Amino acid sequence: MSGLSVGIDIGGTFTDVICVGGADTHIMKVPSTRADPSQAVQAALDRLAAEHGVPAASIERFCHGTTVATNAVIERKGARVGLIATEGFRDIIEIGRQMRRQMYDLRLKPETPGWLAPGARRVEVRERISAKGDIVQPLDEDSMRAAVERLLAEGVDAIAVSLLFAFLNPVHERRIRDHIAAVAPHVAVSLSSEVDPAFREYERTVVTALDAYVKPRVDRYLGQMADHLAASDVPASLQIMQSRGGLAAAEVARERPVRLFLSGPAAGVLGGSAVGALAGFENLITIDVGGTSSDIALVERGRTLLRADMNVDGYPVRVPTVDVTSLGAGGGSIAWADSGGGLRVGPHSAGAEPGPACYAAGGAEPTVTDASLTLGYLDPDYFAGGSLKLDRGLAETAIRERIAAPLAFGLVEAALGIHRVVNAQMADGIRLVSVKRGFDAREFVLVPLGGGGGIHATALAEELEIDRVLVPRFPGVLSAAGLLAAPIEHERSCAYHAPVADASVAAIREACDALDRGAAALMEREHVQGLTVHRRYAADMAYVGQSHLIEVGLDFEADDPLDALYRDFEAAHERINGHATGAPAKIVNLRAIHRADLPGLDFGGRAGAEPGRSLKAHREVHFAGLPAAVRTEIHDRGRIAAGETIAGPAIIEQDDTTTLLPPGWTARVVSGAALLLERARAS
Amino acid sequence: MSGDRFDPITLEVIRNRLDVIAEEMQTTLLKSSCSPIVKEGLDASASLFTLDGTTLAQACAIPIHLATLIPSVAEIRRVFPPETMQDGDIYLLNDPYCGGTHLPDIAVVIPVFARGRLLALAATMTHHQDVGGLAAGSVPTNATEIFQEGLRIPAIRWARGGAFDPMITAILRQNVRIPDIFMGDLHAQVAACRIACIRLQQTAEKYGHNSLMSAFGLLIERAETMTRAALREIPPGTYRHVDWLDNDGIELDRRLRVEVAVTVAGGDIHFDLTGTSPQARGPVNCVPSGSLAAACFAVRAVTDPSIPNNGGCFRPISLTLPEGSLVNPRSPAPVNARSATIKRITGCMLSALATVLPERVPAPSAGELLVMAFGGRRRDGAPFVTGELLGGGSGAGRGFDGVDAIETDATNCMNLPAEAMELEAPIRIRRWSLCADSGGAGEFRGGLGQLKEYEILDDLDGALSFSHRGERHVVAASGMAGGGDGAKARSVIHRRDGSTVEIPSKMVTELSPGDRVIIETAGGAGWGPPARRSGEALAADIANGKVSTAEARRLDDGA
Repeated sequence: MSGLSVGIDIGGTFTDVICVGGADTHIMKVPSTRADPSQAVQAALDRLAAEHGVPAASIERFCHGTTVATNAVIERKGARVGLIATEGFRDIIEIGRQMRRQMYDLRLKPETPGWLAPGARRVEVRERISAKGDIVQPLDEDSMRAAVERLLAEGVDAIAVSLLFAFLNPVHERRIRDHIAAVAPHVAVSLSSEVDPAFREYERTVVTALDAYVKPRVDRYLGQMADHLAASDVPASLQIMQSRGGLAAAEVARERPVRLFLSGPAAGVLGGSAVGALAGFENLITIDVGGTSSDIALVERGRTLLRADMNVDGYPVRVPTVDVTSLGAGGGSIAWADSGGGLRVGPHSAGAEPGPACYAAGGAEPTVTDASLTLGYLDPDYFAGGSLKLDRGLAETAIRERIAAPLAFGLVEAALGIHRVVNAQMADGIRLVSVKRGFDAREFVLVPLGGGGGIHATALAEELEIDRVLVPRFPGVLSAAGLLAAPIEHERSCAYHAPVADASVAAIREACDALDRGAAALMEREHVQGLTVHRRYAADMAYVGQSHLIEVGLDFEADDPLDALYRDFEAAHERINGHATGAPAKIVNLRAIHRADLPGLDFGGRAGAEPGRSLKAHREVHFAGLPAAVRTEIHDRGRIAAGETIAGPAIIEQDDTTTLLPPGWTARVVSGAALLLERARAS
Repeated sequence: MSGDRFDPITLEVIRNRLDVIAEEMQTTLLKSSCSPIVKEGLDASASLFTLDGTTLAQACAIPIHLATLIPSVAEIRRVFPPETMQDGDIYLLNDPYCGGTHLPDIAVVIPVFARGRLLALAATMTHHQDVGGLAAGSVPTNATEIFQEGLRIPAIRWARGGAFDPMITAILRQNVRIPDIFMGDLHAQVAACRIACIRLQQTAEKYGHNSLMSAFGLLIERAETMTRAALREIPPGTYRHVDWLDNDGIELDRRLRVEVAVTVAGGDIHFDLTGTSPQARGPVNCVPSGSLAAACFAVRAVTDPSIPNNGGCFRPISLTLPEGSLVNPRSPAPVNARSATIKRITGCMLSALATVLPERVPAPSAGELLVMAFGGRRRDGAPFVTGELLGGGSGAGRGFDGVDAIETDATNCMNLPAEAMELEAPIRIRRWSLCADSGGAGEFRGGLGQLKEYEILDDLDGALSFSHRGERHVVAASGMAGGGDGAKARSVIHRRDGSTVEIPSKMVTELSPGDRVIIETAGGAGWGPPARRSGEALAADIANGKVSTAEARRLDDGA
């Protein structure tokens, strides 16, 4: 490969950059520039040129993960949205499903995003489509014109149109879009039949309104970014990571912005998946231990698990998404002694400010990070590459006063206890995530992403009876790396309500042909000449009478595609729910997925380190299960040579993470430059 | 692990494990159930019990299920002493007069054996869509005897050592309207209990049988200690509140009184419901498990929800439930509509405590969960049964408005999407909106109720049977600290011939093609004098259609 590939993941604090394809892989973190994120991108390009001699003109691929869509929602800085609904249904977005999330709170808060389009910006049109997709009441043009006029008078800059049963018959929604385009071409329009063509009007309306809400901002952002790259002489076109873990050309992503909410986390999981693939592992559990939470995802047989919906800021977003589950336990989780004499960790977190007690920023509550420091896992002078000095005295004081004294423990016992409790929570979280999806965690390799996972990974593995942990070479910039490992992917789906028994392969094929045309049109704009485009099909299915859907692959090449579909559905139901009933099943949605694989991630030929040079210091470290602190070797990750084996107890440090290697574990560098930690099986 | 000394760290790890097991049971239950009331209403729960019948962990998506499995498990233990249980046994129960709640709620209990020794009991409860009886959906608001409410199942053993009793299966199937869905949901309950068996066996392998059993005891003691500590922070004394239910569905012009006196003292809390109406002829009677669930919810809401949720939390709670009253009826009084009563009891308990906890407890919510069932056959003969659960507005409190159309207190059910109902039944939803002006006026406004209009379509063989179980049609949620009452609920049937019938809160009737039903649920109560509401807030309410200009003018005149 002659050209270089650059992945840039813009997070809240740091913009992570990776550049591969040359003699060396370059990584860097530059501070994010929230007001104008392209400044951070420019800074990164400048540093690549100045420090590594990478000219902008040599960049052939430029992939980007962004939080712009999520931030627009969390900060309430999206468009002024107007909502058009079927007559009688304008309040759907505010009524929602009437459930509350905080079951025991007496002070209730709205659960629905009525603020996206308050009553004054919600209008109705006279029309009605039936549950069979027939037109019961044709669209009344006068009511349409009046509705649009009223929204324009309210000064909206985006309009969401969500009509009942538009997913079965989009003709009225399309007519309204044409009308808006004619009278107000500057206004962005999102149709429910295009954003999320599936039943349940509240969920469809929310995702359509969110699409409208973020569209102008995402559009502006990606437009500026593309212009910026062109102005910087980067020949590569801009590619954006979507929530389901595939890349899309910026000009396509701009039209489907609601698919970008999990852009960053999806890239991280793909990065983990790529590292696993390079090392020869295809069943992975990734865990990204952050300050306030930990994100868990599964990769099965090399494929990242997806789900049909997600939450953004607590609101349902029904688009296919990498299946990431967030647990409320992280490095900043606060440990406390409850009034019954129990040791609890979380759910409260010290966050980034004031942060753990050891940050010396005013935090007095002991956190998991304080316990890590107390136990000797972290070097106070080499945290995040030395960018933040930690105060061990403050950490110990907090643990002694808040935990050890009230529970009558010693300091070390208390710190070990904090780790045990938080590790049990994370392990139980991982277990629940895996069993809910029908998998046995023991058969997976654990991959810590991000900087915080290395300290917990082996303990979690032991708790889960996992024998192998794979620590990526650059866990701190894995999201950026994942961008370069992703395929280009587009999916199209449609509602298709039919019992399997009544379905015909020809009719399904026909529906999929229509989806293929839509996906192919998107793919055409990706400039993927020379790459093979793989087509896959899937059906969302349930037993007749059930409403929880399971996605099942649809293979038209099978001898009897419908029979195969039904059997695969039953197998999936058995795996996920523990039983299959043999009862009639139905198809609810159809989906076509077109995918073009790009060259796999390659961290480049790294200069070979010499064996025996990695030991850099010793420290007193307390490991769980050992009666006292042991003098422990501290190794420099960058100096561990291929083929060399480090035996625990040891600690392996690098700029972006610290890896704990307890007794009974070994570590060695494997293919893809990752570090494989293995547990000796008790004989 | 040896001996039965546990450090707090290991205990916390085990506690977490038990909670996750209960959650995993619950997930299995919800995901693999068929009936819409479980899918959309989350009307199901899962618990682990110690061998002496104390709750060890429970996962319930709705508080009405808090503690409700306790009397069921007690009855099953009484009839089938644990020492007679075998691995692979399955026990069933739904009779409210033998420890159940109401007939649609069936308890499934499975003994958990680890290496041949009994370790715990796994229990699940699911609200089944239909268990036979007078009306499709088994919630006939016109029932006058429990025999009309469906199949009564005392404590029975459905499977012995892994072998199902086919005669019991046959009786069950014969007594319900849609046997396949019924059996599917029952098997989902069994699957959930079996998950618990596997997980508890793994936990016992790790910690040892005896050690784990003693950890159970310590965890329960800890929760009790914490609950008592939290109760000591409430000023001691006796606090009272009275509210009303519309009627019992039979005697339509007689309101029913719910009276609660809460006494807090020395780490104990006692709820005395003396003064509550005698048992009713209609099905709003509530067996004792309902008041216990209400009390557990109220205590949790006013203390500390982070206290581990097990039987220890329930030990400081005691109840006086006068025999022969609405809250402790004698058989064969009908009980199917008891959720309305539980909601009112919960509301009364909270409002009584509002006297001493004004910062924590807001004005009364609509406290209404309208339950409707629609059943019949399509022209091609295919049967359908579908249901709908609709909430009203929540009460406002000091510093905040109520929330529109939201579930409160003991229940937390989802409504049914219009598109879901239209796909399932020959019904078209013509309107679904918030009810302007329904929130109680106040410095802080009560939440709005919701309006929904149903039209019966032609694809119907014969008539459609319709049951409507409302509340707050007669007595509104009363304002607090000078705030106004929430609007009352109202439901009207518009027959095809132009005539109208106002539903007196509860009704079972038939609907024909062309008939329309328009329901409006109640609003939450307001808090503080309406004159103190900010001009800005009122202007926004008017602009967004939550308050009409006429109502605003009326409020203005009042001020």
